[in-house]
Amino acid sequence: MSSSQSTLSRRDLIKRFGAAAVASTGLFGFSHQAWSKQSAHIVIVGGGIGGAATAKYLRLANKSVRITLVEPNPQYTFCPGSNEVLNGHETLENLTFNYDNMKSRYGVNVVQDKAIAIDYTQRQLRLASGDKLSYDKLVVSTGPDFIYDAIEGYSAEHAATDLPHAWKAGPQTAKLKAQLDAMPQGGVFVLSSPDGDYRCPPAPYERVSMIADHFSRTNPTAKLIILDAKNKYTFQNHYEHYWKERYGFGTDNEVISWVSEQDGGRAVKVDARNKTLITASGEKIKADVINIIPPHKASKFAVESGLAQGQRWVDFEAKTFKSLVDPNVYVIGDMVNAPMSKTGMIASNQAKVVVESIIADIEGREPGTPFIANNCVAIISQEYGMTIADTHRFAGDTYVTQKRISAVTDNPYERHIRANLAMNWQRTFRKEIFH
Amino acid sequence: MNIKTTLINTALSACLVLPGLAMASEATLTDAQVNEINEQYPMPSGKMLGDACAACHGTFGAEFNEGMPPLAGMNRQHFIDLMLAFRRGDFPTIVMHDVAYVYTDAEIEAMADYFSALPAAQWPSPDTHRSAFLHEDGTIKQIGGAQ
Repeated sequence: MSSSQSTLSRRDLIKRFGAAAVASTGLFGFSHQAWSKQSAHIVIVGGGIGGAATAKYLRLANKSVRITLVEPNPQYTFCPGSNEVLNGHETLENLTFNYDNMKSRYGVNVVQDKAIAIDYTQRQLRLASGDKLSYDKLVVSTGPDFIYDAIEGYSAEHAATDLPHAWKAGPQTAKLKAQLDAMPQGGVFVLSSPDGDYRCPPAPYERVSMIADHFSRTNPTAKLIILDAKNKYTFQNHYEHYWKERYGFGTDNEVISWVSEQDGGRAVKVDARNKTLITASGEKIKADVINIIPPHKASKFAVESGLAQGQRWVDFEAKTFKSLVDPNVYVIGDMVNAPMSKTGMIASNQAKVVVESIIADIEGREPGTPFIANNCVAIISQEYGMTIADTHRFAGDTYVTQKRISAVTDNPYERHIRANLAMNWQRTFRKEIFH
Repeated sequence: MNIKTTLINTALSACLVLPGLAMASEATLTDAQVNEINEQYPMPSGKMLGDACAACHGTFGAEFNEGMPPLAGMNRQHFIDLMLAFRRGDFPTIVMHDVAYVYTDAEIEAMADYFSALPAAQWPSPDTHRSAFLHEDGTIKQIGGAQ
């Protein structure tokens, strides 16, 4: 493999990381070998779960490759666990990590900048600052973007101001919580759940469950309505079983109502000024708090860099996660067209397949056979958890899935231990990605 | 119908019938089907299989401070015996019986080789903060069949 250098000068590095770090220890305590010009330079776009896992596991697999992670934000907030911020069982602080471990423990050059284009011929990544990063291999993990215009009247501007979707954890999560806490007694909360592939399939129903739990203490006469663009959803039997028990689901006095697509649940328009959602059949639902989760597509960067090739999701070679556009570019996470759920665990395990593929290329051998697991522990309340175990076995040009879901149970031990396990899992997973 | 189409259909139909079932949903490949795939492609390495466990069991299986037990440094034969017992459904677990059933004997042995060779030490440093199962000093707070 030919070598190439970052166009970031030493002065730039000092500017970014401080003279002491650059001058004294080599960079970040890693040996000077880590920055040998002969070492392959792997550039990663996106510092979420997929990108961070790629950087960490790449370093664990190889001491000498140069790794640069490009991420516009100084910190990352995990989506897993963020619904529990809404009922006060979790804090955004617990879910938020900076990139210090990436720099100091894994010798990753973290560049706080925004990738805007790929020059495939020159193997260069262009950044918003005007800098260019030369790469030997590029890994793109820039997640999903939202199809705002699926709901007429909705927009990124509304999401950032009066109508947060909070489907990317962070400031919007805090804003949604503030809106819920300010809701009048007996008020109405409406959530619009999308169709198509979206992040964490059970999460809209988990969110409503967390909010209902919160309202049971703060606003017991409030109503929650799910307008759904689907007719079924993940863990539906679990959610309905528990909602019947605790919230009178299916009765005249139900606290949570679910309107399926076939019953007119698809929201098509929002009137932000009058706080009203309008369904496909023209029904108007006025609410005190509206939470629209828009349908998803591949990230703006995946589209504009040509990786999506005009499709909604990004195609890839099954064995290696190499882009079909260019074999030096790898694509993973919520933006890819994989026969898998869009989850953080999937993204982290796709990252390990990419690492194996990159290391195999460097070593001039065939990459090993991939194997991708997704084990989801979800909750309906602090007293009811349930599990999905997916495994994705490589089968040539695709993956085949084996899936099992835990049975609905009235056994309080099983419910409770799975809910505890979910909280354990969230902490372990955060450490696995950022520690 | 070729094997791959069969497998994909099996998996797909199991996904589609998912809601409303009282019993656990399954998309089960038979041992013969898994063997047929495994004959076509080299077996995933112990590291590839084992690292896919890290989200729950920690990096290198070395999360010692949570409900899901560590795998790093585990006795090889104990790992094999447990995984085979999970796979057979010999005793009820929280989730491992729904995880272990997909692995072949050879895959379980490869993971046992991988984990038994890893040091039994917390990655990257001890951390009992907010563990549901351990006190800050590492002593047990709650015993749970947390597999």
